[in-house]
Amino acid sequence: MTSGGRVRALQSAWLYAQYAVVCAIILAPIGWTILSSFKPSAAVTAYPPTLTFIPTLENYRQLFTTVPLLRYGINSVIIAGGSTLVGLCLGVPAAFAVSWYQIFWPASLSLVARMAPGGLFLLPWYVLASRMHLTNTYTALILTHAVITMPVVLWTMISFFDAVPRDTIESSLVDGCALGGAIGRVAIPLAAPGIIVATVLSFILSWNYFLFALVLAGLNTTPLTVAAFQFVGEGVTDWGMLMGVATLLALPPLLLAFLVQQWLVQGLTFGAVKG
Amino acid sequence: MGPAGAAAARPRRSRWGISPAVWLLSPAIAFVVLLTGFPFLYAIYLSLNRFLFGGNPAFIGLGNYAQMARDPVFWSGLRVTFVLYVGALAAQLVFGLYVGMLLNRPLRFARVLRTILLSPFAMPSVAVGMMWLILLDPSFGSVNFLLQLVGLPKSLFLASPSLVVPTLAVIDTWQWTPFVALIVLGGLQSLPREPYEAAVIDGASATQLFWWITLPLLRPALLAAAILRSVDLLRFFDTIYVTTQGGPGQASTTLNIYAYQQGFQFFQLGYASALMLTLLATVLIVVMALTSLRRVIA
Repeated sequence: MTSGGRVRALQSAWLYAQYAVVCAIILAPIGWTILSSFKPSAAVTAYPPTLTFIPTLENYRQLFTTVPLLRYGINSVIIAGGSTLVGLCLGVPAAFAVSWYQIFWPASLSLVARMAPGGLFLLPWYVLASRMHLTNTYTALILTHAVITMPVVLWTMISFFDAVPRDTIESSLVDGCALGGAIGRVAIPLAAPGIIVATVLSFILSWNYFLFALVLAGLNTTPLTVAAFQFVGEGVTDWGMLMGVATLLALPPLLLAFLVQQWLVQGLTFGAVKG
Repeated sequence: MGPAGAAAARPRRSRWGISPAVWLLSPAIAFVVLLTGFPFLYAIYLSLNRFLFGGNPAFIGLGNYAQMARDPVFWSGLRVTFVLYVGALAAQLVFGLYVGMLLNRPLRFARVLRTILLSPFAMPSVAVGMMWLILLDPSFGSVNFLLQLVGLPKSLFLASPSLVVPTLAVIDTWQWTPFVALIVLGGLQSLPREPYEAAVIDGASATQLFWWITLPLLRPALLAAAILRSVDLLRFFDTIYVTTQGGPGQASTTLNIYAYQQGFQFFQLGYASALMLTLLATVLIVVMALTSLRRVIA
C-alpha cells in the first residue's frame, strides 16, 4: 500500500469511528429503554446494569391489564387525528391563498402563537372550558391541539403550492373553472404529496404535545403522554412498566418520522430552512 | 412570470364582490384570533387582577408585576431559565455544527444515519424524560455505572441541586443537537463551490477553510437554528416537568415551570398570567435581538 493510500484508509477509519460514536450516543438511551421494557422486574433495576436476562412480555401484559392503556392510546389517536383534520381543513385553503395571492401576513400571524408559552393561552382556555363544562372533552383537546397543527399544515403546504406551476392553475381558470374547482381538481392533486407530509407532521406534533392535555384532559380523555407522566408522578416504582409506556409512547411518532424523513426538519423550521 | 401577469390571472371577484382570498383565509384567521388572539387579551386582563380560580377577579393594576419584582422565586426562575438556555444553546450549536459537517462527507450509510438522527426529536419529550430518568437514576442508573467504570464517582444528577440544571441541558442537547445538525447539513449542501476552489489554489489549509469560508457562509443556517432553539429553550417545560417538576427545591424551576405552578397548582390565575406575559416578552426580545443580528452578520 502506498503511503497516500494508508493515510486515506486511516482518515476513513477515523471518520467512521466518529459516526459510530454519534450513533451510539443517540441510540444507546433509546435501546436501553426498549430493552428494559422486556426485562423481568429484578433485572430492570439491577446494579451493575445487566444485559443478560430472559426477555419477557410481563411488563406489557401488566400495562394492558392493570391500567386502561388501550383507552389512553385511542384517546391519543382521536386527539392527534382530530386536530390534524382540523389543521388540514383550516390550513390547506389558507396555504393556497398565501401561495397564490402572495399575502404573507396570515402565515406570520400563525407563528406568533408558536413563540408564546403554551400556558399563556391555557390559562384563559382553562377558565373558559371550566365555565362551559368543556374540560375532559375531546372537543377542547382537538381544538387546542389544532393551534399546534394548523401552522404546520399552513407552512408545509405553502412550499408545496409554491411548487405547483402557476400556468397549470391559470389555464384551468381560463377553461372556465371556478377558483374552488381549480384548487380541488388541479392544485390539491398536484400538491398531494404535501398533504401526506402535512398530515404525518401534524399527527406527530399533536401526539407528542403534552401541556394542554395535562390540564384539559380528564379521566375519559387522557392521552398517552399524560398517562405516561402520571406513571412517573405517582411514584409507581415499577420501572419495567414505565419503560413499556415510554416505548409505546415513542414508537408511533418514530415510525411516522421515518416516513417523512427530511420533511420533519423542514416542518419544524416553518420554512426557515429548506431540507 | 411578472407581477402584472399574476394580477391579470387573478380570478374574478365573486358575485358579492369579495375576493376568493378572503374565503380561503378567513377560517384560519378566525381560528387564530379566537383561540390565541382573544385568550392573549384575556391573559393581559387577568394579569391586572388578583384572581384565585373560583373567586371573582379584583382589579389591582400592576400589582402582580410589583409582586413579581419582589418575588425571589421569579428572579431565580429567570436565572435558571437563562443558564439553561445559554448552556444548552451553545452546546447544541457547537455539536450540531460538528455532526452536520461529519454528515456532509461522502458516506456509505448516509440515509441510515440521517434516519437515526431524526429519532431523538421525533419522539415526545415526555418519553425522553422517562428514558433519562432510568439512565440517570442515582442508585441503579447506567450512566453512574459508566462513570464508575472509568473511575469517576457516582452522581445524583437530577436529584442534585447543583447538577440538575446542567443535567437538563445535557438531556435537551441529546434531543435537539441532531435537529441543529440536519439544519447545518442543509446549509452545507447549498454552499457554493467557487470560494473553496479559489482558496485551495491559494494554498489554504483545512482549518483556514473552515474559519474563513465555511463558518461565515453557514451563518444564516446557524442563526435560523439558534432562533428556533431559543424559542423552545426559553419556554423549556416538558422534560423538566416529567423529570424534576422544578426540583430539587426550586433548583430547576424555570420561569415557565413557575408560571405553570402558580396557575394550575395554586390557581393564582392573575399572577400566573403576569408571569406568562413576562416570559413571552422575554422570548420576543431574544428573538428580535437574534433577528437584528441576522441583518448585521448574515
